[in-house]
Amino acid sequence: MSREEILQAKDRSIAHLKRIFGDEAETVIAEERYGFISGLLKDVLKKPAIERLTLSDNIDKVVVNRWLGIPLFLAIMYGVFQFVFTLSAPFMDWIDTFFGWLGGYTSGVSPDWLGSLLADGIIGGLGSVLIFIPPIFLLFIAIAILEDCGYMARAAFVMDRVMHKVGLHGRSFIPMILGFGCNIPGIMACRTIENPKDRLTTILINPFMSCGARLPIFVLLAGAFFTANQGLVVFSMYIIGIIVAIIMALVLRKSILKGPSGHFVMELPPYRLPTITGVLVHMWERGSLFLRKAGTIIFGVVVLVWLLSSLPWGVEYASAESWIGQIGSFIAPIFAPAGFGQWQAAVSLIFGFLAKEVVVGTMGAIFAAEGGLLGGAIASQLGWTPLIAFAFMVFCLLYVPCVAAIGAIRGETNSWKWAGFAALYTTVVAWIVATLIFQIGRLFMS
Amino acid sequence: MFKKEITIALAGNPNSGKTTVFNNLTGARQHVGNWPGVTVERKEGSCRYQEYHIKVVDLPGVYSLTAYSPDEVIARNFIVDEKPDAVVDIVDASNMERNLYLAVQILEMGVPLIIALNMMDMAESRRYRIDFNALAQEIGVPVIPMVANRNRGTDELLKEIVNVFEGKSAKKKIKLYYGSELEEHINELEELISHDEELSRQFSPRWLAIKLIEQDKEVLEKIGDKL
Repeated sequence: MSREEILQAKDRSIAHLKRIFGDEAETVIAEERYGFISGLLKDVLKKPAIERLTLSDNIDKVVVNRWLGIPLFLAIMYGVFQFVFTLSAPFMDWIDTFFGWLGGYTSGVSPDWLGSLLADGIIGGLGSVLIFIPPIFLLFIAIAILEDCGYMARAAFVMDRVMHKVGLHGRSFIPMILGFGCNIPGIMACRTIENPKDRLTTILINPFMSCGARLPIFVLLAGAFFTANQGLVVFSMYIIGIIVAIIMALVLRKSILKGPSGHFVMELPPYRLPTITGVLVHMWERGSLFLRKAGTIIFGVVVLVWLLSSLPWGVEYASAESWIGQIGSFIAPIFAPAGFGQWQAAVSLIFGFLAKEVVVGTMGAIFAAEGGLLGGAIASQLGWTPLIAFAFMVFCLLYVPCVAAIGAIRGETNSWKWAGFAALYTTVVAWIVATLIFQIGRLFMS
Repeated sequence: MFKKEITIALAGNPNSGKTTVFNNLTGARQHVGNWPGVTVERKEGSCRYQEYHIKVVDLPGVYSLTAYSPDEVIARNFIVDEKPDAVVDIVDASNMERNLYLAVQILEMGVPLIIALNMMDMAESRRYRIDFNALAQEIGVPVIPMVANRNRGTDELLKEIVNVFEGKSAKKKIKLYYGSELEEHINELEELISHDEELSRQFSPRWLAIKLIEQDKEVLEKIGDKL
């Protein structure tokens, strides 16, 4: 067999070369290639005798500085949220007014059930999600600018030391940053991590990174319960997500995923002025996903919620006696220790597994309201305090990621076991943290 | 008018501006899917130039073509299996030492290669002087200077793609010389491989020989399967 011959010849060569070079042939080949390139460049490339420190180098002296790096990262993230809120507020008001008008107009449609479906279900439910188009798109613009100008690579570099302490490396922070847009690309980006245990850990903590779909929940509740400090409260969600992710990485690395971590040299690309097209393309890639979800899964759930709220026939819409009320009342006691043991909250969390915006959409359909009215309805009808709202936001941040993200974990780990584990442990962590916040907070409040 | 189909693959290191070049070439005519079997994103687009219809496949951004990461395997399997009419390697002109490592490996695979020397503005601002002709001469492939984020050089690149496709581009077969010791073994294996009709039809014998000496896991498996 000639194939056999080839493989035998190969083995002979490798053994021989190893004796001669005292090193793997692979290494020698790589060295030869670099040698060829440096020889080539002698003829091709003339560099100035003294390379001046470029602007990039000078900026990096500050940005990746040992002491300034992390505070600067936090300051930039905080600035991003302030930017997003200030700029999106007027646009959200316009959309709110529009849906308010549309709701008033459609509620008069006959027959009554159709008017209710349009006004309570679709406009209340879908409208309450669509109103968040401005902040979501602005957040994606901000993230795209930070990525395209080269800052995000620095953020990963700055976090490298922290990540080392928990048994990972800065490389793992890049998927985490991607997770701010959506967890699915974040989880997929983990494939560049070579060490299998590093990779699995990074995949499992990615859902704690607050994706764009969670933003509507935060903005809605922060707007209703923390009017003065909206930006700060939403910012705190992102920070809590990062902290919980890092703590869980440490826990996983010390328990079920023990082992040495790999090494990776990180690259700092030079700073570049982002182009408008580039930023818009990136914004659209992520933002269009949100719009597509609104047209499909969120719309579907909203209609389902409306139906469950209207049945059995003749029941008062979205009352505790409706089917949805019965389902919610059955599960609600689980959440009582965390403060939000109302059936409306329980139901919206369950549907939120399909997509996290649905938490808001479900509430919108149940209370037949959107925008500022929805925030008010949650405060008055559920009797929530700011503390409860905060615990609920934290629960939404941490509990099981959406079904698509679980699918991505299944795909990337090639195991239902790890996907199931991810769904379960995130929910347990969410319940514990939310309960702690509510119970400890209550001690201070009383 | 009759349109001729050209397929090209875009290769390049991460941060070399590959995505920008891809967008410049294809505009809005893009299609995003997945590489078979894995969930790495596969971006494809197309453009028309003169009487040609050019299909552009965006390979994952990689530094090298080993078998250590799925991205690298995808990139090189595309080149080996689908044999594009040309591979365009986007090289960061301000960081040629590292970027050319990928170019050298693509060259070895025996596919027509075009080097797009991107971010020329960056190199100029650092006062690098680059002799394109010398580079093209010594490496034996066309070199196109570009500033992709200002859409400079796109037309020249398209013209060169057509030239390469039509065989009008002056090219020399440049062989990277690995030193007498390694060459002896590479040549021996190359010789054996070129007698194997099936293997030499699918792979460039020299590339396969080098990969065998590198003990490339994936290539070994492939050959093993064919035993």
